[in-house]
Amino acid sequence: MLVLHAQGLQKSYRYQGKPIAAVKQVSLAIAAGEVLAFLGPNGAGKTTTIKMIAGLVLPDVGTVEILGRDPYRHTAALRSIGAVLEGNRNLYWRLSAEENLDYFGVLRGLSPRVAHQRGLALLERFDLMSKRRTVVQALSRGMQQKLALAVALIHDPPLLLLDEPTLGLDVEATQHVKALIREIAQEGRAILLTTHQLDIAEELSDRVAIINQGEIIVEESTEELIRQFSGTTYSVALEVPLDGDRHSKIERLGGTIEGNTVYLYDPSMLYDLLDILKPLPLLRIEKDDANLTEIFLKLTGGRGKGEEEREKREEGRVKDQQRLE
Amino acid sequence: MMFHLFVAEFKRSWIQLLRYPTEVISAIVVTTIVFYGLFLSARYVAGPGVQFGDRMESIIIGYALWSLAMFIMADITGGLQREAQTGTLEQIFISPFGAPKVFLVRALAGLTIQVALNLVILVILMVLTGTRLAFPPMLLLPFVSILMGVYGLAFILGSIALRVKQVQQLLGICQFVFLFLLTVPVESWAGSFKFFAMLLPMVPGAGLLRDLMARDQTLNVGLWAIALVNGFVYLALGLLLFRYAERETKRQGKLAGY
Ligand SMILES: Nc1ncnc2c1ncn2[C@@H]1O[C@H](COP(=O)(O)OP(=O)(O)OP(=O)(O)O)[C@@H](O)[C@H]1O
Ligand SMILES: [Mg+2]
Repeated sequence: MLVLHAQGLQKSYRYQGKPIAAVKQVSLAIAAGEVLAFLGPNGAGKTTTIKMIAGLVLPDVGTVEILGRDPYRHTAALRSIGAVLEGNRNLYWRLSAEENLDYFGVLRGLSPRVAHQRGLALLERFDLMSKRRTVVQALSRGMQQKLALAVALIHDPPLLLLDEPTLGLDVEATQHVKALIREIAQEGRAILLTTHQLDIAEELSDRVAIINQGEIIVEESTEELIRQFSGTTYSVALEVPLDGDRHSKIERLGGTIEGNTVYLYDPSMLYDLLDILKPLPLLRIEKDDANLTEIFLKLTGGRGKGEEEREKREEGRVKDQQRLE
Repeated sequence: MMFHLFVAEFKRSWIQLLRYPTEVISAIVVTTIVFYGLFLSARYVAGPGVQFGDRMESIIIGYALWSLAMFIMADITGGLQREAQTGTLEQIFISPFGAPKVFLVRALAGLTIQVALNLVILVILMVLTGTRLAFPPMLLLPFVSILMGVYGLAFILGSIALRVKQVQQLLGICQFVFLFLLTVPVESWAGSFKFFAMLLPMVPGAGLLRDLMARDQTLNVGLWAIALVNGFVYLALGLLLFRYAERETKRQGKLAGY
């Protein structure tokens, strides 16, 4: 069942009189129980897309449907959304954890009694029970973020939008939030997650969509994407140097040798290679496996807008150097 | 549902207020000191023997109304600006109630606070100046018409706050305009001046309130109808403008104060 179906979203802003095409062409679909990692360099248009889905930014073109309903026409469709938005805590700083949950529960259309019960259950589950009476201001960054997540879940929404939920958290808090997100996904919610921490995306997501300069350049299941980009090369490291006889036999298999390491490009020859090497002591055998970070860099050309600027600066420096010579 | 929202807003605003009481206390103190200063200097200029008569009472009513109006304006616009920064504003806009409804309920819930604070101020002023005011239940009728005008203007300023996020200067200008609108006794004017005065926000209601509280007169039903229509028009204008501002702000993606 599709929870989110966004089609042909486009948005351009005006900034200091000039138009900026923030989102050029984005379509996304997420089914119940699925986590979509929405990745892209700074300024690619992730936050703009998320806000269009949440009804906070009006798209120039395109439609959003949440469980078949357009949130712009039916505000009731907003009941299906929970969101933790970028950069801030989305909480009332002068209210305690419990009071925030009570308030937001009613704001999302629950009765006060149900809101309170669900609030307590979430505090329990997010390990915040001991802090329920503490004002948000006095909570640590990690606790605030967990509370923001709890608040987004108070009305049990089928769609959860998370814009950089682990931004600014330390290692332990990140692990904790990550575990919570995984748990929440298993409850059958559809989750749209943006993050710059690609290892998190790799661990949590079922699918990946990569956006660059306002356009989606890849959308693929995470496993498939990693498989596609993973090479078929094996590398075998030895503890001792190779003798000339083995050298030529390996070259006949199509392998190459660098120092004490043999590279084999045809995986079906792996056991032939091992026969040749027997009984030399091995250090390790490795298959060249891609990770999301490498894939991301390959696809986006490693460049966001920030990167481009850095490159321009670098070019300038090279020119300076040439002039000096 | 709406009732639950009202209770939730009521709790939220009172808790936030009582948890950090120094802000309220200083607001009350400053407001009364400013008035007392004006009062003392007026008496100094006019000489000790002078009798203010019903003028004094009228002025106190006007001043208390003015501080109520300013508290409400500052509450609504300041709230919008603050919440744009902390990100709670966007959460309100994701509410299935719809933002205009939430803000209207919120304004009503906050009214209890504003009225309580300004009653305290009014009582202090009465004690300081030795003035007696009448509080007939009838005063609620013109009071409602004034409040509609105040909220109408608050939503107009709120719409601007939503768009530009900076309304401090505008709020400062409002102070003077409001002081004029709420304290000048236009009810004693005559002819076409009076007619135009009736079109100004809050003015007809404020005049009626002075009649009731300072001059012990009964309510003029005809004037009250005018005051009510006046308040209604400004409130409707404010809410319409707010809807428009909401849409424009969403178009520009500036809800979070980009
Ligand atoms: N309200 C706005 N007015 C003008 N320009 C905007 C506005 N919001 C975003 N932009 C611009 O639109 C582009 C996309 O921004 P967006 O915030 O969607 O990127 P992002 O992918 O979320 O980036 P990041 O990873 O840095 O959060 C950027 O060039 C940004 O400067
Ligand atoms: Mg962003």
